[in-house]
Amino acid sequence: MDPSVTGIQEPFDLIRLSLSERVFVKLRGDRQLTGILHAYDGHMNLIMSDVEETIMIVDPEAATNGQGVVNIAKRKMEMLFVRGDGVILVSPPART
Amino acid sequence: MDESPRPPSDQSPPPPPPGAQSHTGSPTDFLKGIVGKRVIVRLTSGVDYRGVLSCLDGFMNIALEQTEEHVNGVVTNRYGDAFIRGNNVLYISAAEPL
Amino acid sequence: MLIFSVFKTLTDQTVTVELKNDLSITGVLKSVDQFLNIRLDNIKVADEARHPHMMAVKNCFIRGSVVRYVQLPAEHVDTQLLEDATRRGTRKHCILARVT
Repeated sequence: MDPSVTGIQEPFDLIRLSLSERVFVKLRGDRQLTGILHAYDGHMNLIMSDVEETIMIVDPEAATNGQGVVNIAKRKMEMLFVRGDGVILVSPPART
Repeated sequence: MDESPRPPSDQSPPPPPPGAQSHTGSPTDFLKGIVGKRVIVRLTSGVDYRGVLSCLDGFMNIALEQTEEHVNGVVTNRYGDAFIRGNNVLYISAAEPL
Repeated sequence: MLIFSVFKTLTDQTVTVELKNDLSITGVLKSVDQFLNIRLDNIKVADEARHPHMMAVKNCFIRGSVVRYVQLPAEHVDTQLLEDATRRGTRKHCILARVT
């Protein structure tokens, strides 16, 4: 196809190159994770370790000019399976 | 049976695609044509991702480079690379001439 | 398939399953199937005050599709093995029955 810079041929190659690296995952329900990626499959089920989850709870009442005030909850989990159907986006660490 | 000898002339030649000045072809052709180009990916949530399309697959899983996340027209995040799970994709739009 | 195998290796371990409705259930993993449906024994719900109807429940079957997360016992997960199996499995993740 296109030898665009990286030699990635299919989207999953991007994920494969991120194995054992810290990745950022955006999930449904205004959640995001960072953690070290150890496994994934074609559904984007993930297994990650050293995970920090951030949940954004938007409070539409206390809105300041369009942008609602966002409350943030964080928690850590040692080893986590993430079901793929909740995944929106996975971003590897900055590539070198 | 009674309609079989209809002259094919007025119907059979596929009409030229109207309005397609520079590109014709199937959705697949479009997708092939935009690999390596700047695109806008809109998710069903309304969030946009602007970046260079590295590749995509049959599920519309997408790999983007130099990605900006736009929410309500405001840049909310930047990613060097981003994998987007295809089920979230509403459309992919070319952001530069093909 | 790979993830299924991982869960199989974790049977009889204690896990915490977080559902998409925010219910969080800790219990002993008794079995799992290819859909990642999960059977838990000896369960305990995280916030019992909010889910009083769960207090009497001792075990449960969780449909895979309602799961958001499963917190796993890290000491029983061989991350190196997982990464190798994932890399090997690209597109045809089949050959990892030996994840023990």
